[in-house]
Amino acid sequence: MSAHTTSMRDALYEAPGPRTKLLTLIGTIVSLVLVCIGLALVIQQFRITGQLDAKYWAFYTNMNTWRFLFDGFLGTIKVAAMAAVLSLALGVVLMLGRTSGIKVLEIVCRVIIDFFRGVPSLLLIYFFYLAMPQYGVRLPPFWMITLPVALAASGVLAEVFRAGVNAVPKGQTEAALSIGLTPGKTMFKIVLPQALRIVVPSLISQLVVVVKDTTVAYVVSYPDLMQNARVLLTTHDAVVSVYLVVAIIYILVNFAINQLSIYMARRSGNPIISRTTENPT
Amino acid sequence: MDFAQIIEQYGENYVKAIFETMSMTAICFALAMIIAVFITVMRVSPIKPLRLVGDVYVQVFRNIPGVALLIVIAYALPNLKVVLPWKACVEVTVVLLASAFGSENFMTGINAIGVGQIEAARSIGLTFGKTMSKIVIPQALRSAVLPMTNLLIATMLTTALGSQVPMSPQELTGLVSYITTRSTGAGIVPFIISAVCYAGTAVILGVVGNYIDKRVRVLR
Repeated sequence: MSAHTTSMRDALYEAPGPRTKLLTLIGTIVSLVLVCIGLALVIQQFRITGQLDAKYWAFYTNMNTWRFLFDGFLGTIKVAAMAAVLSLALGVVLMLGRTSGIKVLEIVCRVIIDFFRGVPSLLLIYFFYLAMPQYGVRLPPFWMITLPVALAASGVLAEVFRAGVNAVPKGQTEAALSIGLTPGKTMFKIVLPQALRIVVPSLISQLVVVVKDTTVAYVVSYPDLMQNARVLLTTHDAVVSVYLVVAIIYILVNFAINQLSIYMARRSGNPIISRTTENPT
Repeated sequence: MDFAQIIEQYGENYVKAIFETMSMTAICFALAMIIAVFITVMRVSPIKPLRLVGDVYVQVFRNIPGVALLIVIAYALPNLKVVLPWKACVEVTVVLLASAFGSENFMTGINAIGVGQIEAARSIGLTFGKTMSKIVIPQALRSAVLPMTNLLIATMLTTALGSQVPMSPQELTGLVSYITTRSTGAGIVPFIISAVCYAGTAVILGVVGNYIDKRVRVLR
C-alpha cells in the first residue's frame, strides 16, 4: 500500500455522468446485498453447527482466559524481540561481508544469505529441534524457536541493508574518501548511519515476518500465544472460538506493525524494501 | 547415517517429496495469480462494497501467520462441517496467503504508472477499456515480474506448512521430520538434502526472474 493508492484508483475513471452514476449505484446495492448474504450464510453455518452456543464463548468473560492468552502473547513478544535483535546484528554483519570487496568473504556471505533466504523457517526449526540434539546439543525451547527465526530473517535483512547502502548517494562515499577517510571509516561513519535511517520502515515491516515465524513455537513446546491457545482449547473443548480469536489477535498485531511501517515510510519518504520488492539474485 | 545410506533408504521418498513440493508450488501459484487478478479488479472497481471486500481480504491474509491459517482451515473448519483432505488444507492456505501478496504486487504495479499517464490516455480519447488494456495492464505486468518471482519463491517456502499436517506423500520439510523421527542417528544429512533442494530452486528461479525482468522492465 503506497501513499497514492486512492488517487490512482480514482484516476482510472472519469467523472461519472447520470447513466454511469445509476449503474454504479445499482452495482453498489447488488454487491452489498451479495456481501450481506455471504456473511449471513457464514453466521448460519456457525449457528447450525452449534458454534455460537454460549459454552464456546462464555469463558472469554473470565479474566483468567485473557490473562493466560496475554502470558502467551508475552512469550511471543520475547521470542520476536530477541529474534529481531539477533537478525539485525547478523544481517548487518552479512551485508558488510557481502560488500567488503574481499572476494572469498563476499562469496561465503552470499552463499549464507541465499541459503537462509531460500529455506523455509520450519525446516530451520526442525534442524534445531530434531537434528542438533542428535549431536548432544539440546537447547532450551526459547532458543530452539528464537535462533531459527532469527537466522531465517537475517538473510532477508542483509539484502534490505544492502539496498539501504546502495540508496545512499555515491557522492557521499566519494567525498568521504577524498577527505582522506579509510574505506572502513567511510562505511561506518558516513554510509552505514544514513543507510540505517533509510531502512527503518523496511525493518519495521520485516518484524511482521518475524512475528509470523514465531507462531510455530508449539513445535518446540515454547509457551507463546499459539501454544497457550492450544492449551486453552483442550481445557474448554472449543476449537473454533479459540483459533478464531487467536487468529484475529495475530492479524491485528501484524496489521498495526504494517501500518506503523507505512506511516514511517510516508513520513520519511523512504520506500519499504521487503522480500517481495528486493532483487532475488 | 551418511549420504549414501540416506539416499539408499529414502531416495524414493525424496523424489516423491520434491515432486510434491514443486507441484504444490506450481498449482498454488497459478491459482493465487488468478485470484489475485480477481481481487485487484475488485479493489480498483468504482463499487465501494467490492473495494472494501478486496481490501479486507488482502489485509486479513497478508497479516495472518501461515500456521494460524492452516490450523483454522485444518482443525477448526471441520467443526463447521467443512472438511477438506489434508493436502487441500495446505493448498487452500498457501493460495489464500499468496493471492493477498499477489494483489498487493499488482496494486503497486498499477500505482507506479502514475496519474499523468491515465490523464494523457483519456485526453487523447481512449475509452476505459482501452486505457486498461493498452496502458495500465501491460505496464503493471512488466513491473510485476520481479515481485512475482519473489512471490513464487515465497510460495514454495510456504508449502513447507505441509509438514504440520499428516500429508501423504510428504513434501520436503515433512519428509525430514519423518526420517529424523524414524531413523535414529540420521543426523544432519536429511536437512542438507532438503535445504539444498529449496535454496537451489530459489536461486534458479531468482536468476530466471531477474533475466526476464531485465528484458521487459519499463525504465522510468
